Amino acid sequence: MSENKRKIVEMLAQGKISADDAYRLLCAVDTGSGERSGGERTDTGNKGTGVKSKPKYLRVTVTPGEHADPAHAERVNVRVPMSLVRAGIKLTSLIPPEALDKANNALRDKGINFDVRSIKQEDIEELVEALGDMQVDVESARGENVKVFVE
Amino acid sequence: MNWPPMLMHVKVKNRKSDFGIWLPLFLLWPLALVVLIILSPLIIIATLILLGLGQGRWVEWGFRCLWVAITSSWALRGLEVDVQGRNETVQVTVI
Repeated sequence: MSENKRKIVEMLAQGKISADDAYRLLCAVDTGSGERSGGERTDTGNKGTGVKSKPKYLRVTVTPGEHADPAHAERVNVRVPMSLVRAGIKLTSLIPPEALDKANNALRDKGINFDVRSIKQEDIEELVEALGDMQVDVESARGENVKVFVE
Repeated sequence: MNWPPMLMHVKVKNRKSDFGIWLPLFLLWPLALVVLIILSPLIIIATLILLGLGQGRWVEWGFRCLWVAITSSWALRGLEVDVQGRNETVQVTVI
């Protein structure tokens, strides 16, 4: 047990802080040590603390709604490892420069002034990390529920 | 350490048939390594020729393709696809 954790437990035993406060402090200590050791976020299993786990899978599910026609009730459940998503993004490095120029021109024509070649590895990592906050929930006119989320 | 995919399970179920197969991917990795070792002299010769001709970008592109292919197949572990239609079900699981 680290010195900080010992102090928190002692403060709890002495009644100086509540159990909730102690829990929050212990989570904060864990998060701090996790960031120092590897820069990764740690999972405490408590969403209320604001600490998130590293996304592992991208999940896409399609489920028929309650009022969907059973004859056309289709279910889709796809789980894609985030490592595969990263590898897929890396495929962009195989695109020939001529094609990238065309893509940039097409984007410029649409009013988007963005250079595709400026995407770096760090940006990709940041993007994948940010996917953890993404959740798409669509209910179609046919009553199907489409969900895209990260777990 | 991330392990490569070891097994792939493919299952197709419809009115006529119920077909499922386990593919031992772990047997492919040593095979791929042997093929790579056998082909390595040719790869080295092709690399030297291309570099000599001033076509280094093709060498770089080729190695990049190889690296992406390896990392992509390595990252397949954990992939699950499950599609259930009215008459047909398709499941693919990579373990």
